[in-house]
Parts: sequence; structure tokens; C-alpha cells
Amino acid sequence: MTTSEFDVVVIGGGSTGTAVARDCAMRGYRTLLLERDDIASATVGTCAGMISSGLKYRDEPDIMAMCSKEVVYWNRIARHIIMKNPILAPLLDLSDAASDSSYMDSYSEHVGEREVPPMMFLTPDDSLELEPMLHPDIIASVYYEEYFIDPFRLCLLQALDARNHGAVIRTYCEVIDFEVNDNDEIEGVVFYNRVSGATEDVKTKVVVNAAGPWAHKVAKSADDKLPIRLNKGAHVIFDRRIVNVGLTVKAIDGRWIYLFPHENTTLLGTTALDTWEDPDTLVASFDEIEYLLQSMETVLPSIREARIIRTMTGVRPLVPEWKVPEGKVTRGYEIVDHSEKQGKKGLISFLGGKLVTCRHMAEAVTDLVGKKLGKEVACTTHEKPLPGNEVDVDIIALSKEYGISLHALERMRARRGTEMVKVLEHTKEHPEWKTTICTCEPIIEAEIRVAIREEFPQTLNDIRRRIRLGTGPCQGTFCTYKAAAILAEELDLSGDDFLVDILDFRAERWKGIRQSMRGEQLAQEELAQGMYACVGNLDQSDVDYDLKPWEEGC
Amino acid sequence: MDIEADLVVIGAGMAGLVAGTIAAEAGLNTVLLRKGQSATAYSSGAIDVIGYVPEASEAFASPEEGLFILSRLYPLHPYSIIGYDDRIETEKIVDTIIERARETVSWLKTHLDGTLAPLDGEFDSNIHPITILGTTKPTCLIQKTMNSGNLTDREDSVLLFVGISGYADFNPSAAAQTYLEDRMSTGSSPRKVAHCVVQVMPFGKSYNLSSIELARHLDHEGSIESIAEQLKEHIEQVGATHVAFPPILGIQNALRNKTKLEEMTGTTVFELLGFPPSIPGQRLQKSLETIFVKSGGKLLLGHEATSYQREGDVLKSIIATTPRRQIKIDAKAFLLATGKYIGGGISGDENGLKETVFGLMPVTGDYHSATDIVPSRSTSTLSISPMGQPIQSCGLSVDPEFRPVTEVGTEWVVNLFAAGAVLAGYNYSIEKSGLGVAATSGYNAAKNIVALIKEVP
Amino acid sequence: MDENEAYEYVKSTLKKEKITPYHSDELEIVKSIGSCINCGLCINHCPVVASVGLDRFSGPRSIAVELSRSPPEFWATADKIYLCTGCGTCRDVCPKNVNIPEIVNVVRANIFEHRPDLVPKGLMLLKEIVEEHKRAFEPWEDPEEKKESRDMRLERLDLPLIPDIVKKGADVLFYPGCQAEELAQEVREAAKVILDYFDVDFTLLEEFSCCSLPSHLMGDAKNARNLAKQMKKKVKDLGVKKVITTCAGCTSNLADMSERDEWGVPAYHLLEYLAEEIGFERIADALKDSGGESQVHVSVHDPCHLIRHTSRQVMDHALNILRSMPGVRVSESIAHDSCCGGGGMVSYHSTDVANAVTKENMQALQKTGAERVVTPCPLCTAQLESNLFKSGSSIEVDDLTVFIAQRLPKKE
Repeated sequence: MTTSEFDVVVIGGGSTGTAVARDCAMRGYRTLLLERDDIASATVGTCAGMISSGLKYRDEPDIMAMCSKEVVYWNRIARHIIMKNPILAPLLDLSDAASDSSYMDSYSEHVGEREVPPMMFLTPDDSLELEPMLHPDIIASVYYEEYFIDPFRLCLLQALDARNHGAVIRTYCEVIDFEVNDNDEIEGVVFYNRVSGATEDVKTKVVVNAAGPWAHKVAKSADDKLPIRLNKGAHVIFDRRIVNVGLTVKAIDGRWIYLFPHENTTLLGTTALDTWEDPDTLVASFDEIEYLLQSMETVLPSIREARIIRTMTGVRPLVPEWKVPEGKVTRGYEIVDHSEKQGKKGLISFLGGKLVTCRHMAEAVTDLVGKKLGKEVACTTHEKPLPGNEVDVDIIALSKEYGISLHALERMRARRGTEMVKVLEHTKEHPEWKTTICTCEPIIEAEIRVAIREEFPQTLNDIRRRIRLGTGPCQGTFCTYKAAAILAEELDLSGDDFLVDILDFRAERWKGIRQSMRGEQLAQEELAQGMYACVGNLDQSDVDYDLKPWEEGC
Repeated sequence: MDIEADLVVIGAGMAGLVAGTIAAEAGLNTVLLRKGQSATAYSSGAIDVIGYVPEASEAFASPEEGLFILSRLYPLHPYSIIGYDDRIETEKIVDTIIERARETVSWLKTHLDGTLAPLDGEFDSNIHPITILGTTKPTCLIQKTMNSGNLTDREDSVLLFVGISGYADFNPSAAAQTYLEDRMSTGSSPRKVAHCVVQVMPFGKSYNLSSIELARHLDHEGSIESIAEQLKEHIEQVGATHVAFPPILGIQNALRNKTKLEEMTGTTVFELLGFPPSIPGQRLQKSLETIFVKSGGKLLLGHEATSYQREGDVLKSIIATTPRRQIKIDAKAFLLATGKYIGGGISGDENGLKETVFGLMPVTGDYHSATDIVPSRSTSTLSISPMGQPIQSCGLSVDPEFRPVTEVGTEWVVNLFAAGAVLAGYNYSIEKSGLGVAATSGYNAAKNIVALIKEVP
Repeated sequence: MDENEAYEYVKSTLKKEKITPYHSDELEIVKSIGSCINCGLCINHCPVVASVGLDRFSGPRSIAVELSRSPPEFWATADKIYLCTGCGTCRDVCPKNVNIPEIVNVVRANIFEHRPDLVPKGLMLLKEIVEEHKRAFEPWEDPEEKKESRDMRLERLDLPLIPDIVKKGADVLFYPGCQAEELAQEVREAAKVILDYFDVDFTLLEEFSCCSLPSHLMGDAKNARNLAKQMKKKVKDLGVKKVITTCAGCTSNLADMSERDEWGVPAYHLLEYLAEEIGFERIADALKDSGGESQVHVSVHDPCHLIRHTSRQVMDHALNILRSMPGVRVSESIAHDSCCGGGGMVSYHSTDVANAVTKENMQALQKTGAERVVTPCPLCTAQLESNLFKSGSSIEVDDLTVFIAQRLPKKE
């Protein structure tokens, strides 16, 4: 067992956990982040990436104002990973318009600071010109603009920034127990290192439980309670931008769903199903996929012609409001200071919140942490830029200097901003690292190696989160084995590990592909089977492959 | 311009080309349409007959053994279906099934001799070539350039995996590591495995190298010598007796290059089995097309069969469409060899599957209608396993003469035949039976087609 | 903001964000791209990848699965997307027939609209010429000099002068294409000779204009659509039943326009008309006395716009006609259907790439031992001719239309 001492331990590497770690570290607290799996591997990795203006929460004007302000901050500190989507809400009949018109006014209150226009009406002809694939019978549409962020890069950059400020970031470390003294005060945290198999513990007096859908389990392992409401949401992902602007429409049950272009794919989401299942086993159901497709079909009749490449599911950790539908649960967040509830002193938990408010949540919690530590410092997370955000990047000049294609560089810029030059410098000594490995994004070998060396991935799936490996139409059919070989080289892995890495990533991709299997994905999977099973004979490989939670019981 | 033929073959993969060649050699006026290339063209270039039955964990020692078992366990399998032919005596069924496959293998070897893809291997045993991952797989025939000689027979063999700098499709260190561990776990030879990297720069760059530019470069005189020179040092260092390359030794001159390398290095040199789109697959495709054309067949590229005309129980003609034209082709017999999902012979949406040219009813691996199956439900939660994916066993059900049947079990028309991956009832990825089924079903179908046409004056 | 202001605001935002909605006739093409399974077979057959390497031209696979997904205005594809010659070999071998050559044009159109600074200068210069002169080459300034040039060619090639005809209600419109109209005039003349010999009731355009393919290929959608509109009007005004051309690129482009713009008048290459309307028997009969004492040994080059964008049968017709010529021996080169490198407007800005592609054809042609190569496309003719000449080869290049016309008996 290795021991060391920290001012604060943050459990959970999602948007909130990494934001807290960053804020704590920037304020000078000795910070440890423990993440059971990989950064952004749960809820935040399965959302649409919208940093919402708070549009839906018109019943909570304070929340709306906070969201809007946070969008301004995000644009300031993370401009390079943010995109703007114009959005249309096509209306098929007047009742759609009449029922919710108050939202237009509440939305339009804060548009100035976000540099977006107020909501506007467009005629049906104009709407069809903007988006020719819309249903010809629409009577009008409402136009507005929202910002979107890459959730994986956001969490990773927050974690890296935390590390730059002295925090320790540990992934694949699952908290299994707490050391508590007779006064019910937390003294330490015990965790299981899933890579080494060792159990470790650290001393600390303050623990921030940002474990999202597992927050109640973490509280339980501290012999404490945390009522929570878990709600499953699924998305369908298309192979490219199939619409020019985002679309939102009311689904069959009156909930608003959306179709958003997202980098070089399109996301259709989302559903809401209260759940008590193990989040790791959840996959999108046929019902959820149909719910989304049929509802969007009402305004985009040709949607089934587009190619679905996969689905993804995540679980929302909501504030435990009962007897209200998911849509009516507050999106404000709750900070639970367990010492005030006759629980463990030093344990602070989170509930609710949204991606856009993670920084705000972190600030509030870190203020509380500071109070508990007796070291109160001002927050600066809304001012200091995340790594890579400093200035604009001249892609054309870089292309000439390093001899790499414009597109590969442009995609890299969207992930790394000014930091991309550090990746490119490697190609001077290793020109062979200019080779494209993932043909869909594209991703060059240099970026994979740098991600492995500096961004602490353990598996190909972790690399996927860092740099979008395998997220294109072929879903990793062709990059899996090449990236696995690079990972094996960099981490000096055995042959068995190399094959297990391939099988693991194929399994992870399959988890999303299988549920929406149809059309061209049939051919794609025949090809993947042809490669890995027919030629590679991996189906007969006797390596130590652990069944994944969603594969159990088959 | 409309044309007439005795036989129209739809699809130019292994199944279509074997069948078309046999028909053309028998004197039939044979037209072969293809809208694109497919699995055959980018296969590893090895010809699997039968490696495993589904869910098995041991490979068959020979195709003969495999077919023996298969014919009993899976009587409706494309290999076994001829057993239902009334003309065969019951006690001769298994032998006939085995013989037919043996004949097909022999046909392939003979016909491909002297082409860009000459074959080694025998029907009497499966061999286990090495893949670019460093794994091995059972197969029946390999291209001569893949022949590793006495690699596993010698006690003292030392294998050197050679990669090319900037060619990311093959990583020699991962392959070497994987192969070595496999050898150690089975206690077999070679016991010493090494890896190295050489420079090949067709355009003066050591990055983003593609298989095609490397293979074409090596087709040129003098290019293989530079590789041999670079290798000598590495071979000496580890005492290599055998050298494994990714499958890029050339298109026209691969065999010549292998020989030259062997001469210059004193080792046995061979190509590994590679992933799509592999050069050996391209050689195989090109060779099969050449054989077909040489035998008098007409290859109509860029033509897709888009509709048909039927009169009663006879198919009269098909409409073939190109990017901007359309023609009608009248024929006495037709062979559907359109492949599965990759080839486009079978397609599906979330509501079910369909056969794309004639709208015939596809079936599942256990011969239920597949027109209403939800594809996601015909899959396994495990991505890669010896069970495979049930959806890959879907396709057309045929009678013992390889004519597609309807829901009632009888042939749709008397003169339409089907062969290759469009057939149901087998999963080539887990059985390792792809090109073998394609060739054998094409071979069988062709014999029936020739008989049919020659009967009719 | 009222609705009109709202719309203008939104349009300007979309323009700022560089979002261009697809045209309705582009939707089929975009849908086809969704079928790509990334198998890479196209890379193994792309003549540009083979000639310059995957690093220089990332190839059709990258166009389908990477570049065509470049949000939202594709600007970052500009260093690769202009190197495609549009030969269609990729689509021809693709198991899914993904329409890569056409998606290239969609991408180029987006760059043209939003980032004209990234469009190669050579193409912008051509755009000026097309805009000013409605053709892809600078026209002759002096009509007399144009006639002289024509007459010189007629004399050199021993072809009679068949007068131009412009009339309404003819059966057929003969459309020579910009190259034959301004540069390779012998092709235009030869076609008239052939049509006249077989008593085809034909007319020419009163005022010549480009079929719009060059504009389409460089992404100049505005000019392409304008020229298409003009062509439709001309065709309808003339009241013809068919359009025939001697240029391969015009063949496929006119066919597209005829379908998309609902002309109700189909377009064919002259070879197709000869095969289907005149018939091989009549042609063979006409050519039966064309052999001299010496035999000429020829090889054939297949234009991509015919074999891959129209139908392989067109070159079957060509071979049939050639084989019916006594005194002509045909040897097929192994690269007969390999792109000549002249397409896709690549030679307007990256001649090294275009010429690298042609090398393949030249090497194969040398191996046949043929003295001449014939091809039914003025663009291929020019590309092959210039490259053969530069390499010091003695192989001469003929347009097939001219080759046929020379062997027809002179009408009295």
C-alpha cells in the first residue's frame, strides 16, 4: 500500500469532477482525482455536448441567467473546442407555437452577452431554403443559436490543467472504502488500482463525491446516504452532418428532442427513462431508437435514409425529485454537505447540474472545500484559459512547414488549439509518424503517440475519447489494429495484451453499433468480421478476455 | 445496346468467375456483369475451404475431415446441400460432397497456375499461415508467395518479421510478439522470433505508404535488391532462417521478388495474410478475370442488374444499368453471385432483409424467413466470438441444384441459380470457409447450368 | 425583427459559419457517400494514388470517409480535393458504387463559394474565360484565321469540307464540344463527314456555348447552372430529337443535364449513334475498301467519361468498328482503360500530377508496338499527344472520329 496526504480528494472524472480538481488545484489545494474508469467515460461522454443557454429552464430564471453567464466564460477559456450551431425548431401546427411562447422571451433576455440573436420566427419558405429536407408542410420555424463543446476534450483539458497546477490525476482507480474516525470525520480514502491490482490508500480530510450515477454508491461505501434519481438517456449517431442546422422538435410524448450536427457527425437525442440498472450494462433499446427516429421524422421525413453508425447511452444523476417527469426535475444542482445531515464530516456530494454549469458547481464546492480547510482563496477558473486556447492557429502555414494535410491539421486544431504544435514537432524527428492511422477523422500517428505519452490512456477506448479514434463511419474497423500496435509499442505490452486491446475496442464499438444495426452497418460489420475473425482468427484466440458488463448473460 | 447470351452471371467474385469460366469453357456464350468488386478482390488471397464448425475450438486437420463432419451436422450447408440430390445414392452422399470440394480445389489450382496468383496447398490438409497480427488461421490454399517452407518443421528456425517505415498497416513488433507467445504456449517451432524495419520510399517519403504504391514499386526492376541489402544486417544479427513480409511483394512480380530475396539472403521469404484491401486479393481477382476472359467469356464491367423479366417459371431477361445507360440482356440461364452485405446481394433496414436483384425471400441461418427480422436481434452481444454473428448466416436458400427457392420450398424459376455469399446457412468468418464455399457453389451451379442449357436445343 | 429581417440575419450567420445547404440534385450523391465501408479497394485502383503516392493524394477513400465529412464547408480539403481526375475508377471497383467523382464536385463547389482564395489559380483563370466567352478555351479572334486553320487540317488529313448546317426541326443536334470547336477542329469536321456520309439529318448550334462540364468540375456552380440553362433553351429551340457529341466529357455531362433539367432529348456519343442507329453492317460495308497496301497498327485508349461515366459498351462499339477496317490491326494495351490524367481539371493547376498519371498509359502503349493510338475524346487525345511527344515517343494520336472519317469513301 502506498500512502500520501492530500487536502482534498475528488471522486469522479466527469465534467464536474475534473472542474473541481482544476479549481482546487488552481487555488493551491493539494488535490487528488480518483476516477474508476477513464476521464469522461460516463455521463458527460454520452451527452450532445451542448453548453446550454438554459433555454429549457424558463421556470427557473436564476438557472437561466447562470447558464448564460457560464456560456460567456466557456467562450473565454475554451474557445478552441467550442462550436456554434444555428438551430431551427420547425412547427407543424400552431399549437406547437402557442403553448410555449414564453420561452422565447426568457431565452432572449441574455442573448447579448452570448453574442447570439434573440429567437426569431422564419416563414416556411425561408425555413425550407435553409434546410431543404424539412417537411414541406411546416408552417413556420423558430430560429436560435446555441454553443457546443467537445465534452471529452473539455474534461481532459480540465484534468490536464489541474495536473499542471499540481493535482494528481489517477484513472482506473475505484474507491472502495473510507477511513473514518470515531467522530464520523473522514480521515482517508481506500481505492483499488485496476491496472496494477493493488489496493492503495491516501489521507485526506475532505472528499468531493462527483461520481455522477454512482454518487450514491460512493456515499454508501462511506456508510452514508445520498438519495438520487437516475435517468437513462440514449442518442443515435449519424455518419456525417446530415442537416445544415440543428433541429428541435416535440416528440411523441411532448418532450423536446433534437438533431444536432456535431463536428463531423450528427447526434439525435435524447430519451429519458428512470433506471435502477447498473449503468455499465445499459445499451440503447429498440424502443428508444424508434422513439427518436419517428419523432424527428415528423419534421425531417428522410431521416431514415441517413446512415446510423451507432448509439450511445448515459445516465443522468438527477436531484431526487419524485412525482414529476424527468423534464420537470430541476437542472439546478445540489451540493450536499454530509456533515450537515448527520453524515460523515468532510464528505461533500453533488447531485444534478448540467454540462454548462460544471464550472459553477465546481466553484461553489471549492469555496466550501476552502472553508473546511480554513484556506479560502478566490476562484479564477472563469478567467484562466484551458490549455490550447491562447491564440488562433494558422493551419495553412503549419501544413507547409510540416508537410501534413490541411484537413488532418484542422481536425487536430479542433482538439488541441495551440498545443498542436507540440505534436507536430515530433514529426521532425519521426517523419513516419505523419502517417494517417484513423482514416475517418483523420488522425496521424504522432497525435496517437503524444496522447498515449501525455494524456494517460490505458486502452484504445480511452484514446478514442482523447482524439476521436474510431468515431467515424467505419467505427474503428480499420484503425483498431493499427492503433493497438502503437499502444503496445508505447506501453511495451505483451502480444496477448495487444490482442486483448483489439478485442476490447471492437467490443466497445459493438456495444453502440449492435443496437441500431441496419443498412450499411450490416456491410460494415461483415467487413469487420471478415478482418478480425476470418483473417485475424481472433474469434479463436485464447487470450484472457474479460466479459464486459453489457456482454454478460448472453 | 441490348445483347443475348446463353448464361448471364451477376457478380464477379470467386463464385461468379468460377461458374462463368466453367460455362464458357463448356462452350456457352457467357456474359458476366459486375457493378463493383467485392470481398474476393480484397480478401487475404488465401482460399479457405473449412477451418471450424461453428462454436468449435479446434481447427480441422484437413478440409476432408471438416467436410466429413459438416455434412453430418449441417446437411443444408452450401457444401452439403448437393447431398439432397436424388440422383446420388444415400451411402455416397458424404463422399460426393467431399469429392466435389476436392475437384473444385483442384480446378482452382490448375487454372490459377501461371497466373498472378498461383497456389500452394492440398485438399488433404489445412495449413496455418501467419497473419499480419501475428496470429495464425487454418486455410487450404495459399498463394505461392505466402509459402513459408519448413518454418514450423525445423527445430532451429528463426523468424524475422519485416516492417516498412511509414507503412502503418503492418507493425512487425506487435506481430512478432504475438506470434512468439503463441509459439511458446504451444511449444512449437520457431522458438526464436525477431522483428526489424526497412526503408522503402517509392516517392521519396517514409510516411503514408500504401500497399498499392509499395507493390507497384517492387514490380519495378531493381527495387527488391535494395530491400535485400537492408535486410542482410538484421538477418545476420538474429540468425534468421525465415523472413516474413506484409503482403506487398508486388502485383506482377511478387513470386519473382520472393525468389530473388531468397537468393540474395539465403532465407525462406514469404508474405503474411493481410487485411483488406490486400494485394494478394487483387492478384486473385485479376487472375480469375483473366481466366474467364481467356476461356471466351464476356466481362461487362460497370453494369448493375436492376430489374428482370420473367415468364411463368422461366427468367427471360435482366435489365443492366450503368451510370448513364441501360440495356436488356436475354439469356437462357442466370446465376446470382452478388455476395452478401458487402457485395450488396442482400440488404436490410431495421424492419427486415431483402435480396436486391430479384426480391427473393432471404432466410436466416436456420432457414426461417428473414424478411421481417430486426437485424439487431440477429446479433450476439459478443462482437468477436466462435459463435459469430447470426446475421452473417442470412441469405438465400437453394435446392440441391443451387436454384433459389421460395417460401414453399420449390425453385422460383427453373433457370436461376445462386452461388457464393448470397447463400444462407453458413458463416464464413467463423468457419473460415469463404472462398471455398464461393468456388464450390459456383462450380456446382455451373455444372447444373451447363446441363440445363445443353439439354435444351 | 420581422420575418424578412430574420431570414436575412440567418442567411448571413450561415454564410459566416460557412454552411451551404445541399441542392436537391446533390442529395442522391451525398446519400451514396453514406454507403462507404472504408474498405480501401478504391485506393488500390486509383490512378492518381498509384502515380504520386498516398501522401500526396489521400485518395478516393479519404474523399468518401474523411474529406466529404469536413465540417461544414470543407475548406481544409483544398490541398487534396483538386487532385482527383474524376476518372471514376474508384466508383467502378467500389462494392457500393459510392459516387466519389461527383462528391468531389460538391466539395469543390463549397470551397468555390466560401473560400475562393483556396481555389487553384489556374481554375480561376479558366472561370474568367468561361464567363466571358461561354467556352473553355479562348476563341479565335479572327473568324478568317479560324477558317484557315480548319482548312489546313482538312487538307492535311484528306477530309472533305462538309458545310455547317443550322436549321430547326432536324433529327439530330451535333455538338462538338469546346475543344473540337476551337482547337481540334478536325474532329468537328470529321463528325460532319461521317454524319453526312450516312445521310443523317443534323444541325449544329447557331451560337456555340460550353456544355458546362469544366465549370461543374471546378465547383463554379453558378456558371455551370447558367450554361446548363442556355444549353437547354438551345436544344429545345432547335426541336431536335437527339444530341450527338464527339467529346467523352460532353457525352456524360449532356446526359446528366438532359435528365436533371428534363430536356426530353437524350444525348449520345457519336459511337453509340453509329452502333445503334446506323448499325455495324452498314459501317463495315462503308469501310470495306478503306485498306491501302500498308497495314496500320493501332492501339486504343478508353476515355473515362465513356467507359465509366457512360457505359463500357461504348468502347466495345469502337473496337467493333476498328476491327471492321481492313488494313488496321488493333493491339489492346494493358492500360487501355487507365485514366489519361487529363480529367478533373487537374492539368490546369497540377500538371505534374496529371502527367504522372499519363505515364502509366505511355509505358503500356510502348509495349504494344503500335504506331498510333486512337481514342474518341479530344481531351484524352491532347493529353496523350503532349506526353508522348515530350517523352520522345514516335507514337501518334488520332481522334477516333477523324480516323473513321478518313476511311469513308468520298461522296460524289
